[in-house]
Amino acid sequence: MSTLDEVDDEIIIALSDYLDGTLTGDARAEVEKKLESDPTWKAAHAEMVAGKEATSTLSGLHKARAPVNLTEDVTGTIHKRSAGRFFGRRTFGDRVPFTAILVVAILGLAAIGYIMYSSPTGSLKVDKPKDPPPAPPGPVINPP
Amino acid sequence: MSELERSLLRRLRDRDERAFRELIDDHRDRVFNITYRMLGNRAEAEDVAQEVFITVFKTIDSFREESKFSTWLYRVTVNHCKNRIKYLARRHDRDKDELDETSQQTNGAVTGTPVRAAQPDKALASAQMEKLLQEAIAALDDDQRAVVILRDVEDLSIEEICEITGLPDGTVKSRLHRARLVLRKRMQRHVDGE
Repeated sequence: MSTLDEVDDEIIIALSDYLDGTLTGDARAEVEKKLESDPTWKAAHAEMVAGKEATSTLSGLHKARAPVNLTEDVTGTIHKRSAGRFFGRRTFGDRVPFTAILVVAILGLAAIGYIMYSSPTGSLKVDKPKDPPPAPPGPVINPP
Repeated sequence: MSELERSLLRRLRDRDERAFRELIDDHRDRVFNITYRMLGNRAEAEDVAQEVFITVFKTIDSFREESKFSTWLYRVTVNHCKNRIKYLARRHDRDKDELDETSQQTNGAVTGTPVRAAQPDKALASAQMEKLLQEAIAALDDDQRAVVILRDVEDLSIEEICEITGLPDGTVKSRLHRARLVLRKRMQRHVDGE
C-alpha cells in the first residue's frame, strides 16, 4: 500500500498545486512547513514527485498521426448516411426559427386584412344596409 | 475565440462541406492521438475519430461558444472513447466466454509465451518503451486514463481538463496523481521483472 492510497485528497490537491508552482505567499509557506514537519505530507510529496518523473516520458510518446484518408472517410460516411442531405446550404426554414416565421406571417396577414378592410373597394368591407330611399310621393287620391 | 474560428463555426452551421473539411484537417491528428492513446488500437481509434467528427457535424448547433471549440471537441472525443471502452469490455467478456467454451470442447489449450526479443538498437528499445507505456495506460480505468492522456500526453491545462471531463478541479488533480502512481508502479514492476 502506498502513501497516496491513504492520504486525503486535500493533501494531494495542495501538493499538486505546490508542484505545479501555482501556490504563492502564505499558501506556499504553509505547504513547505507541512513538508518539514509532517511525515505523511513528506511521503506523499516524494511519491508525487516520483510519479511525475515517471510519467514525464508520456509527453515524449510519438504523436500518432491520423490516417491520410480520414477526411474523405468522414465526409463520405456523412454523405452516405444522410443520402446527401447533410451538406449544402440549409433552407430558409432551417436557418430561421419557425416561431419567427410564424409571428411574421401572422403580422403580415393582419396587415393585409386591415388594408383590405379599410379600403373602400376592399372585398372585406361590409356594406351596411342603407336606409331605403323615401317612397316617391304617389298620386293624391281625393276621396269622393 | 478568434474571428477566424467564429467564421468557421458560422460556415459549419450553414452545413458548408469545405468548412467541415478544414475543421477535420485542423484537428484530425490531435483527435486521433487521443483516441489512439485511450483505446490502444489503431483500427478502433480510427473508427472512433470518424464518429467524433460526424457527431461534431451533427451537433454543431448545440455548441454554445461558452468554451473554446477545441475543448468541446475533446469532450466529444473523450466521451466517445469511454463509450467504446465500455463496449469493447462487454464484447471482450462475451468473446472470452465463447473462447472458453470452444477450448473446453476441443480440450486443447494453446498457450502463447511472448518471445522476449533482444534489444539490438535504440529503435527497438524505444518501441518497447512505447508498448510498455501504452499497456500501462490501458491498465488504468477510463477516467484516470482520460486525465493522464489529456495532461501528460496532450499537455492540456488542469482548467481545460476540468471543462472537458466536467470534473471539479480537486478531483482532476487527485485522479491525475493517483493515475501517475499506478503507471509508475506498473513500469517499475516491468523493470524489476527484467
